[in-house]
Amino acid sequence: MSIFSSRRSHRDPALAARFPGLRGLEIAAAAAALFLVFAACFPTLLAPFDPLAINPADAFQAPSAAHWFGTDESGRDIYSRVVHGARPSLLIGAAATAIGLGLALLLGTAAGLGGRWLDFGIGRILEVLFALPGLLLALVFIAIAGPGITTSVVAVGLSTAPGYARIIRGQIAQVRSSPMVEAAVVLGRSPARVLGRHILPNALAPVFVLGTLGLGQAVVWASSLSFLGLGAPPPAAEWGAMLAAGRTYLGTAWWMTLFPGLAIVLAAACSTVLGRALQRRAVSR
Amino acid sequence: MSFPFRTPARGVPAAAGAVAAVVLLAGCSGGGGSSDNGGEPVSGGNLVYATGDAEPTCLDPHVGGNYPQALISSQYLEPLVSRNSDGETIPWLASSWEQSEDGLSWTFTLREGVKFTDGTPLDAEAVKANIEHAQDPATASSTGYLALRKIKSAEAVDTQTLKLTLSSPDSALLESLSMPWVAIQSPKALERSQEENCAAPVGTGPFVVDKWVKQESVTMVRNEDYSAPPAEGWHAGPAYLDSITWRFIPESATRYAALQAGEVQVIDNAQPDTVKAAEGSDVIKHLDAPRPGASNRLELNSSKAPFDDPKVREAFVRSVNVNDGVSTLFFGTAKRSYSPLSSVEPLAYSDQSLFGYDLEEANRLLDEAGWTARDSAGYRVKDGKRLTLQFPVSTNQSIPAEQSLFEQFQATAKEAGFEVKLNLLDLSSWYGALAENNYNLVSAPYTKVGPDVLRILFHSDSTKPAPSGYFANLSQVKSDELDELLTKASETSEPAERERLYEEAQKIVLEGYYILPLYDQQNHFLYRSEVSGVKALPTVSTPTFHDAWLTN
Repeated sequence: MSIFSSRRSHRDPALAARFPGLRGLEIAAAAAALFLVFAACFPTLLAPFDPLAINPADAFQAPSAAHWFGTDESGRDIYSRVVHGARPSLLIGAAATAIGLGLALLLGTAAGLGGRWLDFGIGRILEVLFALPGLLLALVFIAIAGPGITTSVVAVGLSTAPGYARIIRGQIAQVRSSPMVEAAVVLGRSPARVLGRHILPNALAPVFVLGTLGLGQAVVWASSLSFLGLGAPPPAAEWGAMLAAGRTYLGTAWWMTLFPGLAIVLAAACSTVLGRALQRRAVSR
Repeated sequence: MSFPFRTPARGVPAAAGAVAAVVLLAGCSGGGGSSDNGGEPVSGGNLVYATGDAEPTCLDPHVGGNYPQALISSQYLEPLVSRNSDGETIPWLASSWEQSEDGLSWTFTLREGVKFTDGTPLDAEAVKANIEHAQDPATASSTGYLALRKIKSAEAVDTQTLKLTLSSPDSALLESLSMPWVAIQSPKALERSQEENCAAPVGTGPFVVDKWVKQESVTMVRNEDYSAPPAEGWHAGPAYLDSITWRFIPESATRYAALQAGEVQVIDNAQPDTVKAAEGSDVIKHLDAPRPGASNRLELNSSKAPFDDPKVREAFVRSVNVNDGVSTLFFGTAKRSYSPLSSVEPLAYSDQSLFGYDLEEANRLLDEAGWTARDSAGYRVKDGKRLTLQFPVSTNQSIPAEQSLFEQFQATAKEAGFEVKLNLLDLSSWYGALAENNYNLVSAPYTKVGPDVLRILFHSDSTKPAPSGYFANLSQVKSDELDELLTKASETSEPAERERLYEEAQKIVLEGYYILPLYDQQNHFLYRSEVSGVKALPTVSTPTFHDAWLTN
């Protein structure tokens, strides 16, 4: 890793020169991400209306000065619902990623350090899980555990874990055989100290990059589950659920689908752009 | 129900469908085309029908007995009697019938020369086998079982004469026998295993089940020897269409897009906004066929807290704003009901005064009922328990507009302090929630010809599950007075007396706040103008394509 990184760092300015918009894009993504996080923390400061307040008389209003994103079939303000939808969507995404990474860390470390048979066993289990598409794995879990927010968090987390686990295992195996670790072992450091001081810090840098990239994917998956009616129960303002409600009226009230859809795209795009930026920095460090 | 349900794979094709819908909508403007349905019928062609109802797990409507089964089986099975547009019973497979003086025995004369599509002749033994099949607990029937409950025994007097002996007089017998859930199948076919019979029931109808590709479609081909149309309304001889492809497209926007694109010619369970759009269209036409029997209503489960208290029931009914939601979500295609019965039932009794939206009154009633405190979320609490209502919703049995309406109920009831928990479930999980008594509110369609549906829905006997495991009395009202009225009404054939008894019974149901009537069971069909002769049977309003033909 260190050999490659020194070479990469020389190419960095050239990369920036070839894509002058890159930094601008990163700044925009960071700003949008901050905005989303702000919306998730303090939705009432941004949303003019109660996201759950119905008003049948105002149903199906097109975007206007009063309702920036229009209203839905029950006369609820879509802008307010999109803002309030940031919290469940981001929370589900973050929690699912945390579960996925945590589980992966456990499996990956065990496989990377636990000896040949454990490595073999975990490796085969991961391969079996890889054989199933992630979303299918999540659906299977929901079919067993029943729909709801908690289950969809766990489901998305579980289905992302195999990918992370495999990468972590590779990193750990690589760092483990590095001269630095061998030196520590020769010097008689305790296994816990070798793991905590030498292996994990060096193996985990890519994990944060993966986590940032994965966050966007987790948001998309969580929205997909809600879209299928397996996530947040009604009347929750959740992007995927709003998308599902809107598609019925796609021909007459496009705004019901467009804006929650844009929010999902925005969240996923931000996390991808930021993840890539982190990745470049991690590599060039 | 106890027979195995398969959960349809929803959603994944739906997502693809949503994308397809955008493309199609963009490409569909104007269109022109003639809506002229006149002219001579022409034979030939394949009609594609797309249903939004759940895919039946069994094509034999004796088994279980829900509306999706009625829809499809109306194409290949036929009952003993039918109705004309005036609501009078007319002959179908039975050419005449006669009731004994005491009402305890009925004699049916069957039509001569009718054969099932496997060649078996229609005779008294065949009908006897059908009645016994629907009554056999092993069949796990619900609707048919309840409809035939009073039949004690059937006896073949001679080849074409059948005698039914009843346990008590049944003024609804002919109405019950007109329904697709007790349609007559080949006795030879019934002898096969249930699995085989479910896959391809054999009847006398204008079409024959040819192939069933699960989760996709059922193909039916014309019965070339068809000879048994009902006494009025159908042309003689075989159907005009060569075949029907009966597709399952659960997602409403996808279904409508397929209709617009001409990929399918008829759809059911049309969304109100699309029904409205069809009004001004030359290409797409609308058939409105409200179902008979019960109105579409919320049932309030009176068997357990908090709805065991009539005051809480009334408070809930007063706290939900039905009318505003119905008028915006249904675009004027649904009319508000204040009766337990469908508006097509002549004996329907309405009382609008009981169902006004009145938040103040709801609050007063809840205070009186002891739900005085509110928690931090604004919900009422009593003895540390929140005023929570479990509301399982079958996504297979309600269109999106109806689910939105329920969300509005949730929002308005919250103002009075009710926490309504909407659980969107597929059909099998929904049946499961009902069987476990794990609901406070439920909207369950029930279709039956005639006011006797009141006995099925509100007699205490119906709180006990039928062989299928389903019980129809979901408000779980148990009232001796009501039982007596309903039993008497079902035994009285004197019209004025029958009307009085049913009116009394409906009053008890309405005034006890066991139900919140919403509207007629919506049954909107959209079809393309190249299809002529689409009609619904005047019994349970299922569409029939015997008279339908395609122009190009």
